[in-house]
Amino acid sequence: MRGWIRTGVGVLIVLVLLFPLYWMLNASLQPSGALLRPTPEFLPLPATLDGYREALATQGGHLLSSLLVAGGTVVVSLVIATPAAYSLAQLRWRGGPVFVFALLIVQMIPGIVMANSLYALFGDLGLIDNYLGLVLADSTATVPFAILVLRAFMVAIPRELSEAARVDGAGHWRTFVSIIVPVSRNAVVTAGVFAFLFAWADFLFAMTLTTGQGIEPVTVGIYRFVGNQTADWNGIMATAVLAAIPAAILLVVAQRYVVAGMTGGAVKE
Amino acid sequence: MSSTIARLTKSLGRPAVLTLALALAACGAPGGGAPGSITELDYYTDQQGSAAWQKVLDTCSKKAGVTIQRQTVPTDQMLPKILQGATSRSLPNLVFTDNPTVQQIASTGALTPLSDYGIATGGYYDGIVKAGTYQGKVYGLAPGVNGLALLYNKDMLAEAGVQPPKTWDELTAAAAKLTKAQRYGLAFSAVPSEEGTWQFLPFFWSNGADLSRLDSDQAVRALGFVAGLVGSGSVSKSVLNWNQNDVADQFVAGNAAMMINGSWNLSRLDGEKSLHYGVVPIPTPAAGGSPTVALGGETGVIPATGQATQQSAAKVLTCILSPEVMQSWDTGHAYVPSQKDVAENFGQQHPNMQPFVTEVATARSRSADLGEKYPKISQALATAVQAAITGSQTPQQALRQAQQQAGGS
Amino acid sequence: MSRRAAAIAFLLPALLYVLVFFGYPLVYNLLMSLRDFSVRSFYTGQAPFVGVANYVAALGNPVFARAALNTVWFTVGSIVFQFGIGLALAVFFNGRFLGSATLRALLLLPWLLPLVVSGAVWRWIFDQDHGVLNTALRLVGLPAIPWLTDTGWALPAVILTNIWIGIPFNLVLLHGGLRAIPGSLYEAAALDGAGGWQRFRSITWPLLRPVTGIVLMLGLVYTIKVFDVIMVITGGGPANATQTLTTFSYSLSFHDFAFGQGAAIGNVLILVSTVFGFVYLRSARESLT
Repeated sequence: MRGWIRTGVGVLIVLVLLFPLYWMLNASLQPSGALLRPTPEFLPLPATLDGYREALATQGGHLLSSLLVAGGTVVVSLVIATPAAYSLAQLRWRGGPVFVFALLIVQMIPGIVMANSLYALFGDLGLIDNYLGLVLADSTATVPFAILVLRAFMVAIPRELSEAARVDGAGHWRTFVSIIVPVSRNAVVTAGVFAFLFAWADFLFAMTLTTGQGIEPVTVGIYRFVGNQTADWNGIMATAVLAAIPAAILLVVAQRYVVAGMTGGAVKE
Repeated sequence: MSSTIARLTKSLGRPAVLTLALALAACGAPGGGAPGSITELDYYTDQQGSAAWQKVLDTCSKKAGVTIQRQTVPTDQMLPKILQGATSRSLPNLVFTDNPTVQQIASTGALTPLSDYGIATGGYYDGIVKAGTYQGKVYGLAPGVNGLALLYNKDMLAEAGVQPPKTWDELTAAAAKLTKAQRYGLAFSAVPSEEGTWQFLPFFWSNGADLSRLDSDQAVRALGFVAGLVGSGSVSKSVLNWNQNDVADQFVAGNAAMMINGSWNLSRLDGEKSLHYGVVPIPTPAAGGSPTVALGGETGVIPATGQATQQSAAKVLTCILSPEVMQSWDTGHAYVPSQKDVAENFGQQHPNMQPFVTEVATARSRSADLGEKYPKISQALATAVQAAITGSQTPQQALRQAQQQAGGS
Repeated sequence: MSRRAAAIAFLLPALLYVLVFFGYPLVYNLLMSLRDFSVRSFYTGQAPFVGVANYVAALGNPVFARAALNTVWFTVGSIVFQFGIGLALAVFFNGRFLGSATLRALLLLPWLLPLVVSGAVWRWIFDQDHGVLNTALRLVGLPAIPWLTDTGWALPAVILTNIWIGIPFNLVLLHGGLRAIPGSLYEAAALDGAGGWQRFRSITWPLLRPVTGIVLMLGLVYTIKVFDVIMVITGGGPANATQTLTTFSYSLSFHDFAFGQGAAIGNVLILVSTVFGFVYLRSARESLT
């Protein structure tokens, strides 16, 4: 019985916090500007699918581009961050704290500065309009984050665990791959999910590091509906809803995985 | 041959390569060695405007025999994009940018004067030529210009028994009379950026104020008038956050009986079947005057990217500026043709555009007198408008501070 | 392989990445702030060295003090509530009940929205005349609030939006931390007769500390440089009421075209976070060394 009450409260919390999303969905099904009528309509009746028709016709490829960039960012971030976090948390080298400190500082560089200087750098490297370029740029937001989060989790792994593996004759690499990574699976998934979301929502790099000739992530696609002179809110909201769907599916799947990973409970004494 | 060079140039995008390509092209095909492909940059991102512009580009691509690779960025990303291009010497070959920014860009030395390509400036409105002029040379011309006018909801005015206002006093009275429970009499944009300045300038200039002195009596009175409209409740305080798109949304939704907005909204308003609207020039301080609005519109400029591509870009620009193309673009996007005789003809064909055509004749270029200093002054003025509307400062205090900020440093 | 060599080897990819992708922008920004960098400089590549003149001009600008204070309020206000609400939700959803995992996943959705969209939606919600929020206030008999049009209310409104955006971030990280706390501890405490609040204070809070530290630190770093949210909702207005150091820096660079001054403000932000970084390091020394 108590469980039911908690579920009810949980549903209520979710409804309140997600109201702006409902409002967006509502807007996507009404004609442009409908939310500004003297009394806004709480239900999209009569609904129009014009916005979706428009969005689907133009945004399909952009969603795929976003998916590739976000996926690539997850891989690059985790490949760089996981060993680094292991090193910082378990192997403890004297320079480690300085590096952690540097990671905090570098995240303060204003985005527009990052974008401008990366544009200059990527111009030289031929990485403009390039998937790898976008992945590497988006990773500037996700690598420090992933390292810091993974490190915070790995610090909590009892050192006896890896030392036991070492006694059994495993090298650092073996210990890392067969002990540390499986044990920190939750943290890895968390870092990965966030990396995905960062990259999925990125606008600044997507805008500055592409020219509109090659790839175009969906965030930039949404801006196509925001003109300097007219804004088609119906189309914008519909695109936003479409853009939220693939990521939402992934989110739910990843969350299940986090829960499943936790039942292993390797960290428990 | 030439397409290979174009590809090579594009992939490397370096001046040295450009020169090399140029040399090769000159050797290979004497007389007509222009690469057949150029890049073009604009900020017509919305579907409607973008489609109309694409049509113009397609027409001129065919006519000039030049392939055009188009890039579109949101308005606020335009300048960063150009600056990046300038840094890495990878500027687009043809750029359409907001006219007050032309002098800013020309001052870098990145642009080439249009006289190099035999593009003449005769017949254009004075304001648009001035906006494209830097240190005595014309660097840019626009295929269409625009300005602000007063758009009103015919049904609401008829219902309230109000005539479209011609003077400030009439505007105040009409706005008050049209305001009721869920509706405001008037809407305009007062956001803290260039857009807000552009909306305030018609009141500022029509009252005889000048950008070189922001805190003159005339300026204080103009700001007092605008802030007073909000203070009396005839205009929503939300104008502080409404850009011109939002203003149009409010007008269409029936939340405002009148709005200050530009001609580009007409095609959208025409699409709203239940909406009957009219257009009149912006009311003036006293009867019988004619308003001075700021001149808007995107100006085509040709960056220095190498003779061959520049010549191709010039061919395309010449085509875009030709009366037929100009007229079809302006019809498609509800702009006023930038050439006087084309515009007059245009106004007769499109009655709703006539008030805009009339205004454009006396419209002023924002950057004509101030040149590179304009952006800073504009920013200071927009902030002053906000301060006066919120009531955090009196118009006088706000403008004095703006003058200090703009004049100082 | 010695432990030290292994430590460096595992760290090497990250080290190289940070050096290339952050070192370059950092130096670029520093050099820019010491030069009279104008629009012209981008094309000619020339910008005369002016020493600290940009810093003097930017810090002397009357808007600076306002922006600095707003940044403090914005950051503190956002973090306190994001963290508090995030922690409360994490504890709540940590319990096993029907649908807890799915509901928690749904709470991440606000993260997926491009900021131009969530910004626009919030602007409609805040609308003084027709917004849902004021409609609701009127329904319960309260006066409407001039959310975005009053110099006193605009900052709280922007902070509210940012809290909403930041909750999922705090929720997920803190929830991950909670999951790592062994359930046996709670069972033992329950046997000792400890109440819910006592269990939270003596088990959850201390054991969550490494995660708490990192969440707060990251929250600080991200919040202090929030840009898009403010830009979309108020553009820094009304009358500079929501101007923060980042929007001020952007305005200096791209409205006034004083790129050197914009870079100078950027460096002030970097300096501030360096100070906070030190504070964090001191307090977390035992877990780092």
